[in-house]
Amino acid sequence: MRAVRAFLFRLTGLWDKGRKDRDMVEELESHLAMQIEDNLRSGMTPGHARRAALLKSGGVEPAKEACRDRRGLPVLETAIRDLHHALRLLSRSPAFTLVAVLSLALGIGANTAIFTLLDQLMLRRLPVRHPEQLQMIWTTGPNLGSNQGSRASSYPMYQDFGQRAPAFSYVFCRYYTPLSISLGNQTERVTGELVSGNYFQALGIGPALGRVFSPEEDDRVYKGHPVVVLSHQYWVTRFGADAGVIGQKILVNNYPMVVVGVSAAGFSGIDPARSPQIRIPIQMKPLMTPASDNLGDRRRQWIQIFARRKPGYTMQSAQASLQPLLSGILRTELESPALRDAPQPDRDRFLARRVLTESASNGYSELRRSYSTALVVLMSMVGVVLLIACFNVASLLIARAAARQKELAMRLAIGASRGQLLRQLLMESALLAVAGGAAGLLLSEAMVRGLLGFLPANGMLATLRAEPDWRILAFNAALAIATAFLFGLAPAWQALKVDLWSTLKEGAGSAGGSRGSVRLRKSLVTAQVAFSFLLVAGALLFVKTLLNLKEMNSGFRDIDKIITFQIDPARSGYSLPRLKAFYQQVLENVRSLPEVKSAGYAWVSVLSGREADWDVLVEGQPTVDGDTQAFVNGLSSGYWRTMGVPLLEGRDFEDGDVDGRPKVAIVNRKFASHFFGNRSPTGRRITLDVGPRSRPDFEIGGIEIVGLVEDSLYDGPREGVRRQVFFSFPQMNQPVGTAFYVRTSADSGSMFATLRRKVRELDATMPIYEMKTLGDQLDETLGTERLSATLSAAFGVLATLLAAVGLYGVMALTVARRTREIGLRMALGARQGALLWMVMKDAFSLLGIGLALGIPCAYLLSRYVSSQLFGVVAADLGTAAVAAVTLAAVATGAALVPARRASTIDPIQALRHE
Amino acid sequence: MAEKADVWQGTLALMVLKTLDTLGPLHGYGIARRIEQTSGDQLEVRYGTLYPALLKLEQEGFISAEWGISDNNRRAKYYTLTRAGRKQLEKEAREWGRTTGIIARFFAPSEEAS
Repeated sequence: MRAVRAFLFRLTGLWDKGRKDRDMVEELESHLAMQIEDNLRSGMTPGHARRAALLKSGGVEPAKEACRDRRGLPVLETAIRDLHHALRLLSRSPAFTLVAVLSLALGIGANTAIFTLLDQLMLRRLPVRHPEQLQMIWTTGPNLGSNQGSRASSYPMYQDFGQRAPAFSYVFCRYYTPLSISLGNQTERVTGELVSGNYFQALGIGPALGRVFSPEEDDRVYKGHPVVVLSHQYWVTRFGADAGVIGQKILVNNYPMVVVGVSAAGFSGIDPARSPQIRIPIQMKPLMTPASDNLGDRRRQWIQIFARRKPGYTMQSAQASLQPLLSGILRTELESPALRDAPQPDRDRFLARRVLTESASNGYSELRRSYSTALVVLMSMVGVVLLIACFNVASLLIARAAARQKELAMRLAIGASRGQLLRQLLMESALLAVAGGAAGLLLSEAMVRGLLGFLPANGMLATLRAEPDWRILAFNAALAIATAFLFGLAPAWQALKVDLWSTLKEGAGSAGGSRGSVRLRKSLVTAQVAFSFLLVAGALLFVKTLLNLKEMNSGFRDIDKIITFQIDPARSGYSLPRLKAFYQQVLENVRSLPEVKSAGYAWVSVLSGREADWDVLVEGQPTVDGDTQAFVNGLSSGYWRTMGVPLLEGRDFEDGDVDGRPKVAIVNRKFASHFFGNRSPTGRRITLDVGPRSRPDFEIGGIEIVGLVEDSLYDGPREGVRRQVFFSFPQMNQPVGTAFYVRTSADSGSMFATLRRKVRELDATMPIYEMKTLGDQLDETLGTERLSATLSAAFGVLATLLAAVGLYGVMALTVARRTREIGLRMALGARQGALLWMVMKDAFSLLGIGLALGIPCAYLLSRYVSSQLFGVVAADLGTAAVAAVTLAAVATGAALVPARRASTIDPIQALRHE
Repeated sequence: MAEKADVWQGTLALMVLKTLDTLGPLHGYGIARRIEQTSGDQLEVRYGTLYPALLKLEQEGFISAEWGISDNNRRAKYYTLTRAGRKQLEKEAREWGRTTGIIARFFAPSEEAS
């Protein structure tokens, strides 16, 4: 307390110095006068009295100094003085300041931007109660049934864990599904999350309004809880934060439900990349996903299980406690009718299934899994860019210090300590770093907005924010401080190694600076070349990957001329017959447009990362290596013509291939060659084999192959061509959404509105979503690759430019230092070519050493990115050669300018120099 | 002239407080003289030591300062003990007593040995 008071006093001592100084002088003088008076009184002569008083008091000046130090804060005062000094110096050389701040701002800004994404997707903990206790639970091995999504479990499995797992205070589950919400006349598509009744309790999330779900009220009756909790964000954006929404009825998938609450602000869910707008009790599943009711089915895995650990358990002990439970459940399941007849190898593998868990303290996100490696790689690359930028600033500072050598030497000579000068030089660096950091922070927000444009726009990642929060500010500040030391320390040190005598003795200031500072700058340039090589080579690999993926023959013709959109009438309450009729009507309506060449639809949208695969057997044909997997799709007539995929044999689906007619299928070339080699597939029959006793929703045997099509891509270019079987959608009897494909001769922008109108003519409230060209769809699917390629290319270019600037600077310096020598050589008859070569040789040696360091580093690092590549190996020689040649070309260009200057020096001028 | 000890920083504050407690408001010169006299002229208080110490005590709020007129009609800065200063004096005096007591015991002839 006393110390604080004193500190504040001393802080105020920084102001109004003049008055306080006078005050003190007066006090000391009165002290002296009293002493003199006393001395006189004791009988001294006036002169003697004064001398004795002064002697005894110990001098006025030291006393003043001691009081001054005590009064103010000397550390702060000198810091402020250094700051003034640095500001004055920097403002005197605006070009240097601008270049330094700008390169730091770019470097720090880019780092802050990438970190903003990295932090939100990967590092941040969920904003829930004790996030560190959360754990995700899933099982490995064959389920002998169907799986939907990653880390999925069956609902009965969740119930078993919830009732019997000892290590957890809560076990809860969730499932994402798109939903149609109707309010008044408007229908819109949202992301819904079906959750167990204890979801909110387990996470410790309360309501902002109304109530949230509870296990007692909302998890008891099958199909019996028509209630909805809105997310806070959806409530604000869609309902204008109207409290009257509580108790209101809305139609969800055309089913009347009541809004009972709004969840707490700031809570968006377990997936940091996704924020569902509404939550519904999981008991409502059959009504929310019209195509399937799998709540009680142990052979279908579709929910994700999370749990909150009890105190006293660790992640490992909690996981271990689940394994005996799982084994017991599996043994019981094997006795069920569905698995009783399973063959022995299947039973063995089934019983060997294991429980796995993972901390869910920062949630779980599938998107994170696909982006995290790319983000980490990009973060490392952008860190290297900052390093290169720092080296440039360091190099500039060394040059400055060299120019100020005389001044520094003079100040040392008249008594400044090296510590004082070091402090001043570092203050200058700190000022640059702070300015660069602040500018970088502003830049980063714009950069993040740009980056978010690369990510798929379909509602996912809507949670990512560009506005910096305190974590980002802290990162930014830390980065700025670190860079200040990184680029400031070495030059300052170098500058103070000045040799007083020789520096002061020299007449004019030498242009070049000491030999040591040149050596330092040369090693900085060498490091820049090495780092640039890493970045350029990396960028080339990512660009090549993207090109490989984009140029991979999709099998579809002119994908920019194909427009796709999706509708899902089952979620608007359509029955199966009405749904099939609706699809047919939409098709006819669209085909009637003059701009439309052809149109068709498919159950699974292509090039979007989605897939469905079943086990398919060919009648009278043994399987090859027991491999019966085939990737399936349901198609309308006209699909193949629209996509521009040639029919090789047989016929396309026709409008007559409907329920009740003989079941037909088309296979692709890859399927045909797997099963039939060179023989014709048409006329053969296939059967579906979807796990023992567990059939898909449409019963199929004896499907005749009527056509063979050329290969085309399915989920995406990375996955390549799949072995595929296509069914006639009207024969599948599945109430599911579909993706339409329309080939048009008109401009896609104008067609979007036309197509929307055509669908709305049939049902004005039908939500139409994901409308885009197939080309854009491919770009979205390649989001990670586009992000990596574009950013790494930008980083590579930036790095190369910075390195070129660095090389130019150091070569110009060498030439300046050797002006006299070059003049002498010329006077003695050296030819221009020889002088040019003399300088270039120097530059090439820097380049050579840089590359010699960079290439092995690149080779060592390449394995960390190999998973991100496609169609190119990480240690690709061609890429390395291109990177080296590019760098060499840029470096030659940068060095050629000073080299030419050297070769055209006027010997007379040069010899007069200095 | 005999060697005089320069006063130690830590104890100077205590002496200043005690002086002001005994004599009431006093100027810097008076404080210095009083300390020197009380020490039997064994201590010498230079103002390079005294005034920073007074400033420190003022900043800590133990004493307050005010310009006034001295006995021989000279303008001088008078220092007064504050309430906080009086408390601090009591506390430090107690601690000082304890410390000296302990040290004294170390140098007293040992009872067991005798």
